[in-house]
Amino acid sequence: MALTGIIFGIFFGIVLQRGRICFNSAFRDVMLFKDNYLMKFAALVIALQTLTFLLFAQFGWITLNPKPLNWVGNIIGGYIFGLGMVLAGGCASGVTYRSGEGMTTAWFAAMFYGLTAYATKAGAFKPWLDWISKFNVKVEYSTPIYASNSGPTLPSVLHLNPWIVGILFSALLLWYTFGTKTTERHSKMGMKTAAIILAILAPIAWMSSAASGRNYGFGITGGWISLFKGFLAGASVNWEGWLIVGIIIGAMISAKISGEFKLRMPRNPFTYLQVMIGGILMGLGAVTAGGCNIGHFFTGVPQMAIGSILASIFFILGNWSMAWLLYGRD
Amino acid sequence: MGKYEVTKSIDVRGEVCPVPDVEAKRAVKKMKPGEILEVWIDYPMSKERIPEGMKKMGHEVLEIEEVGNSEWKIYIKVK
Repeated sequence: MALTGIIFGIFFGIVLQRGRICFNSAFRDVMLFKDNYLMKFAALVIALQTLTFLLFAQFGWITLNPKPLNWVGNIIGGYIFGLGMVLAGGCASGVTYRSGEGMTTAWFAAMFYGLTAYATKAGAFKPWLDWISKFNVKVEYSTPIYASNSGPTLPSVLHLNPWIVGILFSALLLWYTFGTKTTERHSKMGMKTAAIILAILAPIAWMSSAASGRNYGFGITGGWISLFKGFLAGASVNWEGWLIVGIIIGAMISAKISGEFKLRMPRNPFTYLQVMIGGILMGLGAVTAGGCNIGHFFTGVPQMAIGSILASIFFILGNWSMAWLLYGRD
Repeated sequence: MGKYEVTKSIDVRGEVCPVPDVEAKRAVKKMKPGEILEVWIDYPMSKERIPEGMKKMGHEVLEIEEVGNSEWKIYIKVK
């Protein structure tokens, strides 16, 4: 069953490549270039997923599983991850799909990201994670929409029906998407198409993942950890690990077809050092925060998980800090 | 040879995101009105983002020329 992850990964990878979907760019471009195109995509896909997740959960096809709130981990890890993605030249999904496009810097970023994530989860840095995990906050749910013992959400904190909060939350994001001015961009796949495809694909992928014994939707960090664990310790690769393999294959196929596959190498070899440091910060940050821009921002925020919203705010703050340091001062 | 009287040319192939955009912006800031900048890139996202960014800054995008496998040259006339 874990192998089905590869199929969802291929679709995900194609959309990521076609839509040039990178959350590092989404966060950074708003601040650096006053360009909100990808941020609007992010708002739209979260708005739509909030509704599709609730719908699938209402029908009993999936059980939402918000990540625990962890003030310490979400803030510190989120900020470190945010710094790292700018150095690495891409977020977790960005470096993964660009690996398939032939960007050699993304290979190094992804490898060091996966390796450090694994070390934080189960290796040299595990004592740090054990300490961070003490601050995990979970709540008991009586509604069948959420897993009984999972992280707090906007509806649980406000003591309101998830649908009421979800519709308001989604409406607010839709207002931002359509009610304010959007930066022009002529992309191979428009942001509306990409957002609609992903908002439908994501809950279906969740069903497939849950059937393999992993009750969560799209994620990247756990997938890289699983691949390294399989490679280094002989463990069997989980759904999320196969998802990564699929994303790389999907992005590669998509790039090949559109004449965008190329082994890209920077002239200044120092860039490799920069992206490796970025990858290390991303791996440490993501595991400390309990997820990356996909697990938290893309999949967690639509569940209205407080921990995911908090981590995402610090992804953005970390991203802005490093983008300003590297590119913003002229 | 070349289609345009290029004043300055930058080669940002292989650079990580968003270095092509940042370098292109830094280059036009140092140029005079009427001069033409050539940006040689191989990164698909910047191919879409640089022209819109330049237009927003008031410059004119003359052409996005495909010059090879996943390689493009963007010609920008500084205003």
